[in-house]
Amino acid sequence: MIKLQNIEKVYRTSSIETLALNNVNIHIRKGEFVSIMGPSGCGKSTLLNIMGLLDEPSKGTVEIGGKTVDQYHDKALARLRNEKLGFIFQSFHLINDLSVLDNVEIPLLYRSTSARERRELAQQALEKVGLSNRMKHFPKELSGGQKQRVAIARAIVGKPEIILADEPTGNLDSAMGNEILSILQNLNKEGATIVMVTHDESMAKRTHRLIRLFDGTQVTDSILSTNLATGV
Amino acid sequence: MLRHLFKLIWNKKKAHSLLMVEIWASFMVLFGVLSLIVYNVRNYVEPIGFDYEDRWILNLSNNQDTLAVGDKVASIYQRLNQYAEVEEVTRTGSNTPFSMNTMNNSVSYKDAKVLTNFYPVDENYAQTMNLPVTAGRWFNKADAVSKHEAIVINDAAREKLFGAENPIGKLVKRDDKLYWRVVGIVDNFKAKGEFMSDEPGLFTFIKDKNAWEKEFILKVKPGTDANFEAKLVKDIAGMVKDWNVEVTYMTDSRKNQHSLTLVPVVIFLVICSFLLVNVALGLFGILNLNIAKRRDEIGLRRAMGATEKAVTRQFLGEIWVLATISMLLGLLFAVQFPLLNVFDIEGGIYLVAMALAMGVVYLIVTLCAWYPSQQASRIHPAVALHEE
Repeated sequence: MIKLQNIEKVYRTSSIETLALNNVNIHIRKGEFVSIMGPSGCGKSTLLNIMGLLDEPSKGTVEIGGKTVDQYHDKALARLRNEKLGFIFQSFHLINDLSVLDNVEIPLLYRSTSARERRELAQQALEKVGLSNRMKHFPKELSGGQKQRVAIARAIVGKPEIILADEPTGNLDSAMGNEILSILQNLNKEGATIVMVTHDESMAKRTHRLIRLFDGTQVTDSILSTNLATGV
Repeated sequence: MLRHLFKLIWNKKKAHSLLMVEIWASFMVLFGVLSLIVYNVRNYVEPIGFDYEDRWILNLSNNQDTLAVGDKVASIYQRLNQYAEVEEVTRTGSNTPFSMNTMNNSVSYKDAKVLTNFYPVDENYAQTMNLPVTAGRWFNKADAVSKHEAIVINDAAREKLFGAENPIGKLVKRDDKLYWRVVGIVDNFKAKGEFMSDEPGLFTFIKDKNAWEKEFILKVKPGTDANFEAKLVKDIAGMVKDWNVEVTYMTDSRKNQHSLTLVPVVIFLVICSFLLVNVALGLFGILNLNIAKRRDEIGLRRAMGATEKAVTRQFLGEIWVLATISMLLGLLFAVQFPLLNVFDIEGGIYLVAMALAMGVVYLIVTLCAWYPSQQASRIHPAVALHEE
């Protein structure tokens, strides 16, 4: 599903050169729920950004769904992100001036989907995360857990094959965190491939596979469960 | 997407209110200035209706002399006809073309009552000014003794007084008592110059011994210079002692009239441009600030599948939506002008001014939003999403 080969990422300024990722090789199969752990600054988010086509590696190749994307231009990359990938962020990134329903519709704005269809799909996604009663609310009126559930609804509304979650429970208490992880596990059971960056060991242990990074290098890649999702 | 943009703008209406007021005010100012410009341009392209090159105006003032003024004027008329440099001469009232003098009054025909400019002239006026008669005839000597005074009207007066009816031979009333008979029609006659609208006008006939009308228009041979002017003034002054004799060139009077029209327009235009530049700079600053505040939203939209172009389009679209809402408010005010017939100007002029003002506002907001929108599209999503 996602294949990273010899990935290297170097950040350069006029005076400093920082190696964020060094020779990372990861192959994530369809239906896997993979967690990525490591200390702050070890390159977890950079890795997730490269998987999510939000950033380009300095070296190496990225394959998504069997296609190498190195030569893809902005339009093709945007289309791939829109159709194949769903993003969940630690700080939710909801647009405060839009209602919950309108926030969830955002990925569908960049497809040729009718307004009615957008509305229906957004409503279905919100029902899936248990927020059908908050559709007209604005993000400021929601708790942290509810905001993250809206973000999950937004990530799944376009029915992507891959969900990339960057510390989705990082801003939540443990009860809320567990609730969010349960939703992600359910999505995984329905067939979604999930890659989650986390600092929480207990959360990571509830995934199929744990990749640890240290100073930009992949140090371990452990299989925790072989019970992969078989698809919807 | 348009619906999405309307929602975004509507939900942020308080934050955008100042911007909307700025755009609304710009639209209103532009509408005013453009109405003035469109009015003048439309007048300018309408033919003036007569020739002014090589036409001199001889102005006579009898001062304290009241003895046989009409005879003296008639003698001067005869003398003027004898100069080899003078091709045509005509006697006219003080409201010569491009002068500051105006004579007008209401005239009526059946139920139509029209405020009309009066131009006292004689039988040589049409030929001297190269003013073509489109129907009927110009004055002749016999008109001095006709039962009803003869008049020639212009086409604007014909249209307002008679509509589709043929005016030749018809009687029009002045002050509900005096009857004039229409003997001819001329096309345009814009005595105040190109920027004057083609207002209703009529020509009355000056009788020979009339002592009031003491202006002459001379059609001189091309190239006639100031030497002849000096000789002319000297000769005429010699004929009428203690009278003031003055020659002005019609081309100079025309320039003065143009300045009278153009100076206020230019002043308004400068003020308007200054206002618009300020608004544009303000808009540019606000948009830049907005984009800086919305970096994470831009990152998010890129992550959700927006291309660079889609981000540019979104920010341009937002400002267009904002401009459209502001201008719809402005249009509510602007349409009152044609509806209430303010300043008695043709409604089409206001409509053209509205369309132009909208075009200029869209152009300004697009220019102001273009660079910030381009900047927004170049924001790196990975960086924007991890700035918090």
